[in-house]
Amino acid sequence: MKLAVVVQRYGLDINGGAELHARYVAEHLARRADVEVLTTCARDYITWRNELPAGESDVNGLRVRRFPVRRERDPGRFGRRSHHVFGSAHSIADELAWLDSEGPCSPALIDCIRRNEPGYDFFLFFSFRYYHAYYGIRAVAPRAILVPTAERDGAVGLSIFAPIFRGVRALMYNSFEERAMIQAAAGNDAVPHVVVGVGSEVPARTDPERFRRKYGITSPFIVYVGRIDENKGCKELFSHFERYTRAVGSDLSLVLMGSSVLPIPDHPRIRHLGFVGDEDKFDGIAAADALVMPSYFESLSMVALEAWALGKPVLANGRCDVLQGQCLRSNAGLFYESYAEFLETLALIQSNRRLAFAMGQNGREYFQRHYSWPVIVRKYLDMLDRLRAEDQGGARREPIEPLPGWFARRRAACRAGNDVVRELPAGAARRAERRR
Amino acid sequence: MPPEFSIRSDSVDVEQIMTQIRARIREKRGVDYTEEELRQLASVKLEKFLDPTKVRSDLIAHYRRLREPGSGATAPPENYAFDDHLVYGSARGGTGGVITRIRRLLNPVLKLFFNPNPIIQVLNRQSAINAYNREEFDRTAALNYELIHNLVLEVTRLGIEVKNLKMRVESLSGRLDFSDRRARALESVVQYRPGTGPAAELAEAAPTPAAAGGRAARRDGDTPGREGEAAASAGPIKGEAQRARRRRRRRGRGGAAGQPDPGSIASGGEPGAQADAADGAGAPGADGGGGDSLPFDGGEPGPADGHEPGTGDPTDR
Repeated sequence: MKLAVVVQRYGLDINGGAELHARYVAEHLARRADVEVLTTCARDYITWRNELPAGESDVNGLRVRRFPVRRERDPGRFGRRSHHVFGSAHSIADELAWLDSEGPCSPALIDCIRRNEPGYDFFLFFSFRYYHAYYGIRAVAPRAILVPTAERDGAVGLSIFAPIFRGVRALMYNSFEERAMIQAAAGNDAVPHVVVGVGSEVPARTDPERFRRKYGITSPFIVYVGRIDENKGCKELFSHFERYTRAVGSDLSLVLMGSSVLPIPDHPRIRHLGFVGDEDKFDGIAAADALVMPSYFESLSMVALEAWALGKPVLANGRCDVLQGQCLRSNAGLFYESYAEFLETLALIQSNRRLAFAMGQNGREYFQRHYSWPVIVRKYLDMLDRLRAEDQGGARREPIEPLPGWFARRRAACRAGNDVVRELPAGAARRAERRR
Repeated sequence: MPPEFSIRSDSVDVEQIMTQIRARIREKRGVDYTEEELRQLASVKLEKFLDPTKVRSDLIAHYRRLREPGSGATAPPENYAFDDHLVYGSARGGTGGVITRIRRLLNPVLKLFFNPNPIIQVLNRQSAINAYNREEFDRTAALNYELIHNLVLEVTRLGIEVKNLKMRVESLSGRLDFSDRRARALESVVQYRPGTGPAAELAEAAPTPAAAGGRAARRDGDTPGREGEAAASAGPIKGEAQRARRRRRRRGRGGAAGQPDPGSIASGGEPGAQADAADGAGAPGADGGGGDSLPFDGGEPGPADGHEPGTGDPTDR
C-alpha cells in the first residue's frame, strides 16, 4: 500500500503539534506501508518563508518531497481577514481569501498531488485549516483521509470547510470532543471515522535526578512544557501560581520549558529553562510532581499524554473541552476553571501524594491502552483496510460538493465563524474510553 | 512495601473529586456565583479609579485646565447678546450703515406681515437666562469637582485597603488549610503503643450501644462508660488529652458534621462529617486505625485517622 502524508511543514527540528503528529504517524506507518511525505519548503509557521530546499530529501529514512511556497504570509492582511471572517457576516469569497492569506500557499504541491493521484492508494492530510489540506482534498477527495487536528476556534465554523469534512473518505479524530464538534459543524456523521490520537516517543527510562542536578532544582515543582504564550493560557497560569504561592506559602516551584513569546514574571518560584531537548524534557516531567497544561484550545495535547506515559498526573485548564475530557476519561488529572479551583486542585495534588501517584498510574495505563504505538498503528491500518475493501467492492461514492458559482460565492451569506462555533455543542465527552 | 503501592488506582474518580472540590468552593464562597457572574461583577467596578497608578491627585486642576481656551477641550458656545437693534444691523462696515437704515425704513412694511417685537424680547430674555446659567454652572462645577476628587481618593484608598485585606485573608486561610492538612498527615503517622490511641478507643466504643447512638453525649464527654474505658486503656491523662484534642477538632469543623452520608464518598460537606459518622457508629480500625479513611485521604503515607475505606471524601487532605 502506498501512502502520501501531506502536511504544511516537516522536519526533525519542527515541533509544532500537528507537524510532530504527522511525522510520528508517517514514521510508524512506514514500517507497514510505503510512505512518502509531501510538504512545503517552509520552516516557520508564521511567515511560511521558503527555508528548506525544494525537491526530494530523506528524513529518518522517509522520502520527503518539498514544494516552494509561492508567497509569504502578510500578517497584517491575514489578521484583518481573520477578524472579518470570524467576527462578522461574510461571503465564501472572503473565506477563500482568508485561506489564501493564511497559507502556506503552494500551488506546486497541489499540482503534484493532482498529477500523482493514481500513484498513491491514499493521501493522509494533516490540519484541515491550511491551504494544502483544503485544495489537496478538493483535488483527490476519493483518496483523501483527513486528520483534522481541530481546535475550538472560528475556523471550524467557516462554510468552506463543511464540504471538506463531508467529502473526504475518512477522518482520524484526535479526541471525542473534536469529533462531536466537527460532526455538529459539518453533519458528516456518515463519513467513516475513528478517534485515534497519536502516540509519543517516550523513553523507557528517565533520570529525574540528572535533571535536578543539571538545573539545580531541589524543591518540588510542577512543570509546563510548550510555547509560553498568552493563547496557551500561560498568563493566567502565572497569575494563579503567584496567588497560590502567596496563599499556601509552600515551596512548590513552577518550571517552564519552551520558547517564550510572553514576559515571564520575575518570581522566585517561577523558573524558565527555555527550549530544552527531549532528554531534559522527559527527565523534567519525570522529576515533577505534576504537569500543568493551562491551554484553552488543544486538539489533543501530546505533552499531557507524555506526562501520563511517565506516570505523572496532569493539572489542566477545564475550559478546554478536550483536556477536561481526557482527565475525566483517564482519571489521571484534575482541572480548573477559576483560581479557586486551581488552588484546591493543586493543593490536593501537592499534599496528597497517594492521590497523585494513583492518578499517575491511571495515566500510564490510559496511555498504554489507547495511545501506545501498536494501538495507534492498528487503528490506522484497520481504517486503510476498510477503505481499500470498499474500493475493491466497488462501493459508490458521492463526489465532493463543488464550490458555488461566481455570484453565490460573493453573496455575504456566511455567518461569523465565531458565532457558528459558539453554538456548537461544548463540554467534555465522558463516555467512551472510561475505565470504570 | 510503601503504602502507595497498595492503592487501588481504580478508586480514583476525577469527576467525583471535582464535584466535591466545587462543592467545597461554593461553601467557602457563601453565595453560589458562577465564574461568569463573578467576572461580570468585577468588570463593573471602577477599576480605573481603584488603580492607584491611574488616579489623578490634581483632578480639579485637570478639569480647570480642560476648560481653559486652547486646552484642546471643546469650548462651550459663546452667549449671544441680543437686542432690538441687532435684527436690523449689518456687519458690512460702511455699507452696513446704509443697509441698517433701509431696513429700519422698511420696518413698517415688515410689520404688515408679522410682529417681530415679541421674538426680539424672547431672544433677549433667553440670552440673559443663558448668562445666568453659565455663572451658576461655574459655581457648582467647582464644588462638584472637589467632591468628586475627594470621593475618588477615598474610594481608591478603600479599594486598596480591601484588596490588601482580601489578600491577607486569602493568604491566611490558605496557610491555615495547608497547615491543617499537614498537621493531620503528621498525626496519622504517629505510632501508638498497642492498646492505646484513638483506634483502641474506637474499638472499645464499638460494642457499647450508647456510643453508637449517642454521639452528642460523647461530644460532651459525659458518657460514664466511655470515660472508664478510656481511662482503663490509656490512663486518665492521656485519654482526656486525646478526647480534648478530638473535641477541639470537631468544633473546628463546625456544623458541617451534622448530616453525614456515610454511604457515599461524594457526600460533600467537610471531611469532619465522615470522621464523626465513623466515630459514632463505632467504625472499625480495631488494629489501630490502620485503614485509610478513603482511598486518598491524608497527605502522607501511613495509617490515617480511623475512617472507613471508601466512605470518606477523596478531597479530604
